[in-house]
Amino acid sequence: MDFALIHNLSIGFGVALSLQNLMYCFFGVLLGTLIGVLPGIGPVATIAMLLPVTFNLSPISALIMLAGIYYGAQYGGSTTAILVNLPGESSSVITCLDGYQMARQGRAGPALAIAAMGSFFAGCVATVIIALFAPPLAEVALKFGPAEYFSLMVLGLVGATVLAHGSLVKAIAMTILGLLMGLVGTDVNSGIARFSFGLSELSDGIGFVIVAMGVFGFAEIITNLEQGEARDVFVNKVTGLMPTWKDLKDSSGAILRGTALGSMLGILPGGGALLSSFAAYTLEKKIGDTSKFGKGEIRGVAAPESANNAGAQTSFIPLLTLGIPSNPVMALMIGAMMIQGIAPGPQVMTERPELFWGMIASMWIGNLMLVILNLPLIGMWVKLLTVPYRLLYPSILLFCCVGVYSLSNQPFDVMLTAVYGLLGYIFVKLECEPAPLILGFILGPLMEENLRRAMLLSRGDASVFVTKPISGVLLGIALVLLLITLAPAVQKTREEAFVE
Amino acid sequence: MRIKNGRDFWAGLMFIGFGLGFMLVARNYPMGSAVRMGPAYFPTVLGALLAILGAMVFFRAFVSKFAHPLKVFTFRPVLLVAAVVVGGATYFADSLFKGMPMVEFALTGLALLLFIGAFGPKSMFLILLAVVIFGYALKPLGLVLATVILIVVSAVGGHDFRKKEIVILTVLLVIFGVFVFVKGLGLPFNLWPGE
Repeated sequence: MDFALIHNLSIGFGVALSLQNLMYCFFGVLLGTLIGVLPGIGPVATIAMLLPVTFNLSPISALIMLAGIYYGAQYGGSTTAILVNLPGESSSVITCLDGYQMARQGRAGPALAIAAMGSFFAGCVATVIIALFAPPLAEVALKFGPAEYFSLMVLGLVGATVLAHGSLVKAIAMTILGLLMGLVGTDVNSGIARFSFGLSELSDGIGFVIVAMGVFGFAEIITNLEQGEARDVFVNKVTGLMPTWKDLKDSSGAILRGTALGSMLGILPGGGALLSSFAAYTLEKKIGDTSKFGKGEIRGVAAPESANNAGAQTSFIPLLTLGIPSNPVMALMIGAMMIQGIAPGPQVMTERPELFWGMIASMWIGNLMLVILNLPLIGMWVKLLTVPYRLLYPSILLFCCVGVYSLSNQPFDVMLTAVYGLLGYIFVKLECEPAPLILGFILGPLMEENLRRAMLLSRGDASVFVTKPISGVLLGIALVLLLITLAPAVQKTREEAFVE
Repeated sequence: MRIKNGRDFWAGLMFIGFGLGFMLVARNYPMGSAVRMGPAYFPTVLGALLAILGAMVFFRAFVSKFAHPLKVFTFRPVLLVAAVVVGGATYFADSLFKGMPMVEFALTGLALLLFIGAFGPKSMFLILLAVVIFGYALKPLGLVLATVILIVVSAVGGHDFRKKEIVILTVLLVIFGVFVFVKGLGLPFNLWPGE
């Protein structure tokens, strides 16, 4: 077993260390850091924009680059959080609390350094975890039939709704709305074009990028503009990057705990970077001396930053082993694989080992590049933050429009993205979290197909979902998750956690 | 009964509308049975679920402990009605437009813009307008002019429009677009009208 692991990893490093892949990895993490630093543009929009471009790359280069964007953004986001008190990425919201306070006390350097070190450590550990746990999981997944897949997707959707902000009922409704929107287009079994209103453009279904770009990208620009620009860049010269010995000692425990928590929460369907950082901060606030939290406690930077990076990386596990995306970014990765003609699922690991292990190896290399990129180049990233939003958003719009148009060269797609932008704005205003919608949208057709197959195999007996052991357990977990969230005590802390 | 939470009120209505809408359209397709599900089966079940959840959210708006005003964002009902009238007339009278695809296209576009304009702030309308124009102008006008329109119209949507800055930004983005999108990434856009 161990020997196989070493053998596999050596294949992976062989692939990842080729000049071409190193280049794409570098490009990915650089771009990731860039968009992580800039508030208002996130990994979803960026990856969506680059999807059509990846068509011309080799599959492994494409995946390495796109993965780099995602975990690179986690590094970049912390820089903005610490220096500007604005989350560059949603997953660094919590870092603002103590990171910005440290910057105000003239300790921006150590805060940035600890964030980068914690992220690097977490990245390394998460890489090993993927390498260790993905293969056995994939083996289990190979035994999955339609009933198991259906139940797994139910669990994934329940996970996403439970972890969404705000009202649970609304989150479930958004998931179902997403499932329904995913069904638009030609039905595989009957050939009927559903919900297309006679429009040929809709008979292939609505592109995932269109929904993601409209609901996340455009809606964010619109709400940002509505709120007006209030950015107070804290660009006091960042001097003395090195943390003191005491800083290191204080934060080492936090980094370990953050990494462990983040790695676990990342695997959960619906989990990932955002949830991990919140959970790690909450945990840290319950341990040891808590008097300095909110006033520049270094542990309050170390824990969430380690956790979000660990979570970002381990969220690749469900994607690589089960072919099921746990968050919008992973859904885009599935899109990227499909563009390349690879059906995501447990067979990827056995049929395309170079792809799987190459990507894992590239994550470690990418993390190393990120430390190098982030610490010495911090001055450059800080400069970027002084670019005003009024110049930024027209540029972002151009990238988004070009990205959508180039998917199929149809003006209709761009128009539809605008409509989804409007919908996204309405969702924000009505406090309806869009992440579950996106997840439902992706899983809609998959769920329907597996449900049909399972029912056909069981001759219409719906009890198979409960009587088949794996399927039953998965549904059981989903039910327990829902019940726990509905429990009054959890409801209360959940509200508090998200209000903070 | 007083509406306490405007957000829940509208969100509930939205979910009910979507749920019933999907169920209604799905009636055009065969339902099938539980063993052999037809194309209408799954959407009908989901639509019903969505409508039920929507009703829950709707009724919660009256007993919610979180208070939100009923007015969540600017809403111009006149424009919405106009959009429905224009759009509906164009959709159902499409035999009138045989041989005049441009007229039908223009009316559909008008209905869409009226619809978008019915909600939210002015900045949103201008931004989405810029996006829609870009989409439909890219092929006939070429990348350069489409980019100019996109940048200028969307920049007008912001509240801090500075002419000089926007001119420089537009020039830079056009150069960037030509070299990166067309020359670098090889996207198949023509640069100028009629190329």
